[in-house]
Amino acid sequence: MTATSPARTGQDARTPGPAGPSGGSGRHAGLRSWRHRPNLVAGLGAFVWLLVVGVPLYALLAATFQQSSEYRSAGPLALPTDPTLDNYARAIENGLAGFVLNTILVTVGVVALVVALSVTAGYAIVRTRNWMSDSTFRMFLLGLAIPNQAVIIPVYLIIVQMGLYDSLIAIVLPTAAFSLPVCILILAGSMRDISDDLYEAMALDGAGSGRTFFQLVVPLARSGISTVAVYSALQAWNGFLFPLILTQSAENRVITLGLYEFQGAYRTDIAGLLAAVVLATVPLFIVYLIARRSLVSGLMGVGGK
Amino acid sequence: MSVASPNRDGLTAPERSPARTARSGGARPGAPRAGRPSALWGLPALLFFGLFAVLPMVLVVYLSLTTWGGLGTPQFIGMENWTRLVGDPVMHQAIGLTVMLTVGSWAVQTPISLLLGVWAAGRQRNRAVLSAIFFVPLLLSSAAIALIWRALLDPNFGPLAKIGPMIGMPGLDFLSSESGAFGVILFVSAWQFIPLHTLLYQGGARQIPESLYQAAEIDGAGRYRAFWHITLPQLRNTMTTSSVLMVVGSLTYFDTVLIITNGGPGHATTIVPYLMYEAGFQNYQYGYASAVACVLVAVATIASLLMVRFTGFGKMRSTREGM
Amino acid sequence: MNPHRAGAAGALALLLFTATACGGSGTGGSGDGEMNIALRQDSLAVVQENAVKRFNEQNDGSKAVLNQIAPDGYEDKLRTMMGSGQQAPDMFFNWGGGSIEPYIEQEMLLPLGATLQENPEMEDAFIPSIMEAGKVNDTQYGIPLRGTQPVILFYNEKVFEEAGVEPPETWGDVQDLIDTFKQEGVTPFALGGATPWTELMWVEYLVDRIGGHEVFERIAKGDSSGWKDPAVLESAQIIQDLVDEGAFGQNFASVGYDDGAASALLAEGKAAMHLMGSWEYSTQLADAPEFAKEDLGYVPFPPMPDGEGHPQAVVGNPTNYFSIVDDGDTEAETEFLKQTYSDAYVKDLVKNGEIPTTTGAEEMLDEAPNPDFAKFQYAMVRDAPTFQLSWDQALPRPQAEPMVTEIEKLFNKQVTPQEFVDNLAALQ
Repeated sequence: MTATSPARTGQDARTPGPAGPSGGSGRHAGLRSWRHRPNLVAGLGAFVWLLVVGVPLYALLAATFQQSSEYRSAGPLALPTDPTLDNYARAIENGLAGFVLNTILVTVGVVALVVALSVTAGYAIVRTRNWMSDSTFRMFLLGLAIPNQAVIIPVYLIIVQMGLYDSLIAIVLPTAAFSLPVCILILAGSMRDISDDLYEAMALDGAGSGRTFFQLVVPLARSGISTVAVYSALQAWNGFLFPLILTQSAENRVITLGLYEFQGAYRTDIAGLLAAVVLATVPLFIVYLIARRSLVSGLMGVGGK
Repeated sequence: MSVASPNRDGLTAPERSPARTARSGGARPGAPRAGRPSALWGLPALLFFGLFAVLPMVLVVYLSLTTWGGLGTPQFIGMENWTRLVGDPVMHQAIGLTVMLTVGSWAVQTPISLLLGVWAAGRQRNRAVLSAIFFVPLLLSSAAIALIWRALLDPNFGPLAKIGPMIGMPGLDFLSSESGAFGVILFVSAWQFIPLHTLLYQGGARQIPESLYQAAEIDGAGRYRAFWHITLPQLRNTMTTSSVLMVVGSLTYFDTVLIITNGGPGHATTIVPYLMYEAGFQNYQYGYASAVACVLVAVATIASLLMVRFTGFGKMRSTREGM
Repeated sequence: MNPHRAGAAGALALLLFTATACGGSGTGGSGDGEMNIALRQDSLAVVQENAVKRFNEQNDGSKAVLNQIAPDGYEDKLRTMMGSGQQAPDMFFNWGGGSIEPYIEQEMLLPLGATLQENPEMEDAFIPSIMEAGKVNDTQYGIPLRGTQPVILFYNEKVFEEAGVEPPETWGDVQDLIDTFKQEGVTPFALGGATPWTELMWVEYLVDRIGGHEVFERIAKGDSSGWKDPAVLESAQIIQDLVDEGAFGQNFASVGYDDGAASALLAEGKAAMHLMGSWEYSTQLADAPEFAKEDLGYVPFPPMPDGEGHPQAVVGNPTNYFSIVDDGDTEAETEFLKQTYSDAYVKDLVKNGEIPTTTGAEEMLDEAPNPDFAKFQYAMVRDAPTFQLSWDQALPRPQAEPMVTEIEKLFNKQVTPQEFVDNLAALQ
């Protein structure tokens, strides 16, 4: 993703590439052009997908406002006749807030660690010219292919040996490690776009690699860094396997695991369970509302473009 | 030309290169070494990744040669787990299911994401609104999504119990048949991941220079020809990225399987990652589970290497290349 | 790979491994005067919750903390915690027998011989046969913490009334009832096939009734050819016949037990009967109290025609046990064990619908929420010639899990009865 102009407003997250024409320039081509007529087939397809995404989400929300007994008799597709907030109250009683707090701590830890490690590593990979940086890059590239399930047994062993079993740090460390390959790839891409001239100017200025890093690389890799932050935050927020294996007690429970364990506690109280699911999503949803643009462009950035 | 040693941190100002380029440093040997940082900058990440990803890879190979029940010390038993693995029908089935799930996921998710992405790249206000809705599944964790679908697909206490009789199919239940359960996993993962890939394609489509379409229009090309001859080729790189993420991702569908089907009915949705979990953390045969894990790594690595080879994804490319 | 080289590789791995260990900061450890009790989370846990409250009020020293773990996966989580060393619980819920043997092999558990000598009343408090099941290799490792849990055939009295039928006394009755309920549009038997240990109960009773309890005892002793006994094949055939007849409805494979779905089917009258452990009563009391009090009926599993098994034989869980992890400091834990036979504890059990395994329990049964059910259960266990521990608990885990999966496949008709027998006999 090339430099996103932060000042840009409006409803699209488009970034005019430095070489590309601005979006409006094509408008002169004439009103009768196909490019400005609605595409009915595509619109229909999008509508179908809207149903596929929207109906389950509607059912999810509707269910959470129903009495548990009403859910059982009428099903989630019916509008709640007697809306209630009981389900949400119960979810909070069951310790959901604590789980959310744990998840926030884990997410902050993972993002900090990933950003610190991947930005420095990206810098070394892009700017150092020797076998070491090349092989480092290759290793991370191969690391893309390691599914975290494959190493969960040794990771469990290592965490136990470090005396970290059943702690939030136990979740943070491997989650961060497995986010690194993608993040380094993204950052390396974004740092290669920094032109040599700028490095040389810094060098002429007498800047060492430390100053170059903080004054040149970090500011110019900003969009890459925000992509990396978004990506690793989502990994941490939604992580399931590491918490499942590496923690056990309620005080260290993160939200995904909390929901999973709620299944046993809620039993047939599906409306209550779904309310917990909704509440668990609220923090991310708030972030989405506030920072939709950077979230979206961050995720687009995962694609490298 | 001064060849700054990598660990001198560029403290001495190197000469300006006469042949510098505005592009990235490039891999040309003898390129200018303006402010080259020491490779030590990469060390923290390397050590960290080594400890939590590379060392475990070594250990998992070692553990696959042992018998270990999770308590005490692993006992070395040689190739016993591997002989068992080769002859284990559940493993054979798991590999088949994993391949089917990977290929199936790609075949389902790619066309839908591509079309939705290109459509959403348009500038109309309604598209922006719909895109915002399409984005929502991305905010849900796979655990949450699995729980939602489990509730929605419950044959007795979910909407199916109401809808089934209405359409003349009482007892409508996807989860109790082998193909049904597999289909559910395929569908739920598509529901979960299509938004991300749509976003990637949307980002890719927005980078296609408008001038290409203007030129196409002047040449008299219609909407569909423009799609085939401009949009698709221009999205090549995006498609590669998205496909790699999809393939590696589908080798890790675990949460979904654990929560919705528990690998069942029978072993009908026991894909390799789930089998690994079952063998290790449910049957306490960590040695055997490690052998399964090795297979998982091998499959994932081969798949990625093939894709990297065929697509050039691994080239140290600038993000501007291919524009 | 030659052994020499493999050894070297192993040494390297272990070296790396210990190297990482040195870097550890050791922040874990729940210690600090807290006694961590791992408990399987279910509707019966309220008794243990009260015991912990009482214990903490009575003792100034270490505080007991209950760690309730989701039932589906309890044993796995426990195993991981035990393997982690420093995060192992101080005391934990188990099924006795095979479920604690691996920990005993690793010498992780406290033998209770000395404790029993110091507190002679502890041994006398429980029914001897139940204490016996808490022993491994003639050493006591577990103290009963729950009531006894035979598997019983529950039924919905209202549904039976509406259909004008009586609960089954013979296998012929069962066949007639299946036809009747299918005509009524009611599923004859609720079955939580998504949690396949519920299906195991059917196999256990059928094999026991047809072939007698010796068949499984051979298997439990490690003679897997016991699966080849004709009784197993016959039982498997009967099960698939039941499935074909629709005895369990169309979608039992996606009905869960731990999430309460199967029990809800019975309570809501969508199913007529439910073969389940006696804890089903407490479950119904928690989830559908009206139904539990008014309409929940119960009978023993009927005998099979020409079966060799005793018609009063019982399968299920004799009870559950607390075992103590031997971490050098077990004073508070042994003190806590005294809770399990205190008057308050036993009363709580009875009040919650359980049948205590303490010797004086019979007199207290009048205070049970349903005295008739309590007495029925007590008599059933008292008069049973054998009380067989659930197979999944009696067998070591690496055999038990594949066995349960094979049973799941049998119910789902993914294998034929003959394949079922062959696959089980092939388990090591």
